[in-house]
Amino acid sequence: MHQFGFIAIFMVLAVLVPVSMLLIPYALTLAGIKPHRPDKVKNDTYECGVRTVGGSWVRFNFRYYYFALSFLIFDVEAVFLFPWAVHARQLHWFGFGAVLVFVAIITVGLAYEWRKKALEWK
Amino acid sequence: MPIRDYYLLSPEISLASIAMAVILLDTVVKRKGLLAIFTLAALALPLAFTISLWGEEGRAFGGLLIVDQFSIFFKFLFLGVTAAVVIASQDSVTNFKRFQGEFYALLLLATSGLMLMSSTGELITIFLALELSTLSAIALVTFFKTDQAVEAGIKYLVLSGISSAMMLYGMALVFGVSGSTRLEEIAQAVGTTRLLDNPALLMGMLLMVAGFGFKISSVPFQMWVPDVYQGAPTSVAAYLSVASKAGGFAVILRVFYVAFAGVSMEWSMLFAVLAVVSMTFGNLIAMFQSNIKRLLAYSTIAHAGYMMVGLAAVAARNPIGEGLGTQGLLFYLTGYAFTNLGAFFVVIAVAQKLKGESIDDFAGLAKRSPLLAGLLALCLISLTGLPPTVGFWAKLYLFSGAVQADLVWLAVAGVLNSAISAYYYLRVVKAMYMSPAASDERLTPSPAISLALLVTTGGVLFFGFAPSYLLDFAVRAARGFPG
Repeated sequence: MHQFGFIAIFMVLAVLVPVSMLLIPYALTLAGIKPHRPDKVKNDTYECGVRTVGGSWVRFNFRYYYFALSFLIFDVEAVFLFPWAVHARQLHWFGFGAVLVFVAIITVGLAYEWRKKALEWK
Repeated sequence: MPIRDYYLLSPEISLASIAMAVILLDTVVKRKGLLAIFTLAALALPLAFTISLWGEEGRAFGGLLIVDQFSIFFKFLFLGVTAAVVIASQDSVTNFKRFQGEFYALLLLATSGLMLMSSTGELITIFLALELSTLSAIALVTFFKTDQAVEAGIKYLVLSGISSAMMLYGMALVFGVSGSTRLEEIAQAVGTTRLLDNPALLMGMLLMVAGFGFKISSVPFQMWVPDVYQGAPTSVAAYLSVASKAGGFAVILRVFYVAFAGVSMEWSMLFAVLAVVSMTFGNLIAMFQSNIKRLLAYSTIAHAGYMMVGLAAVAARNPIGEGLGTQGLLFYLTGYAFTNLGAFFVVIAVAQKLKGESIDDFAGLAKRSPLLAGLLALCLISLTGLPPTVGFWAKLYLFSGAVQADLVWLAVAGVLNSAISAYYYLRVVKAMYMSPAASDERLTPSPAISLALLVTTGGVLFFGFAPSYLLDFAVRAARGFPG
């Protein structure tokens, strides 16, 4: 039950903080500290401060998806290689062989991508 | 890690290596026709490993992998089905021109997943193997990239995702109750508790049935079957209906006979009810189909029902104490593989020439090609379960197992359903022999499909006259298998 008490405190905080954030402007307006003068720019949707160019429903080139997938695969490969590299000495040749097989399988995929021209942007 | 562990895994390792070799070969060779020949020839390697493993009993990787007669039986079945499907899909894949290497590679990867499924004794490995086979199969279903194929693929993807999620949830619950993912340790934890006193275990078991039920296309997880079979390349539909279903049954047998052996009375009744619902639903809907692939799709749902009779007959024993249900189910799966592949291959042969898959296209086939009509009639008779075909013996063994397990009502339901199924199977036969043909042009099947037909229908007839060879094989596979 002890741990659940902490969770309960966090849940109360998680509700209190955003609600108070929303209530502060109202409180300031009611107190007469904050003036109320809306205009077009103020009511605009805030994205990042830079004026938006064009619509956001544009089509992306589908090649992004090839590169995203390839990136993901090699990213995951790196994540798997790091723990092996840290313990390479303890894992001896068995670990080396296992990693070699793993890299070989990924390389087959890379060779496939390369020969099928998935790595070219045209 | 001793070398022996890898030796026990060698069929799967070699099959996956061949899949990668096919991908690499596809990037260098210009004559794509070589790929099918290479795939077929290379299948000899995992087959050789499987033959050399015959008679071995062992565990590898700390019990993750179980090699016994049961798993080797299924490995033979999967390799045989894959070889037949490679031969039969050779024409359509070559005509399509694109993605030939991918087709064979994905087929091999799906098979390696199925082979792994039949020989694991651990829940997470079962899940991984199941996903390997299902994901490859999804890509194969969408192979022709027509609207219908893509629709079928998306349906298969979404529904398999849902069923996998349910199965994982079930596995998590079973793990929570038993504290282990190993089937034997689950069996110890489950013991002979009453399921109704243990709602978490009951829920976990039911959710796992949902996941496996998707794979074997039993009611109520059958929604994907007709659309996927219609949209997929016919050879892939044949593969799904036979290999994928056998893989599902291998896992169900392993999980339920090992892990839940203590509560077999409860799940035996569950499978008995599912069996009756499944066969009745499949047979009733199949009567109203006009497309031959949809008809075969509903017929596979019905056959999943017949096969579940073997699961329900877990209590059936012969005088030596061996499980009749398991033997009958293994026999049925193999006989069904020969029969259903044969039926699908005739559909491929006819569709290649006529570009149509409706039953009307088969009208008068007996005049245009007596051989194809005869072979399809043979396969349909075997699906109905009439002698002198392997389907007759398969149903005989299964239903006699049900009678021995005191499930006479289940056997009666099975026989009644076979009678219903005769109506729509023989309707196709009637169209082929009694209806006038649209034209008198002769149909000659291509050499590749003829070879595939020779193997499968040869099996239907051979084991129809000499079922003892196959039965001995099934008995040996089921021996030593708990249950």
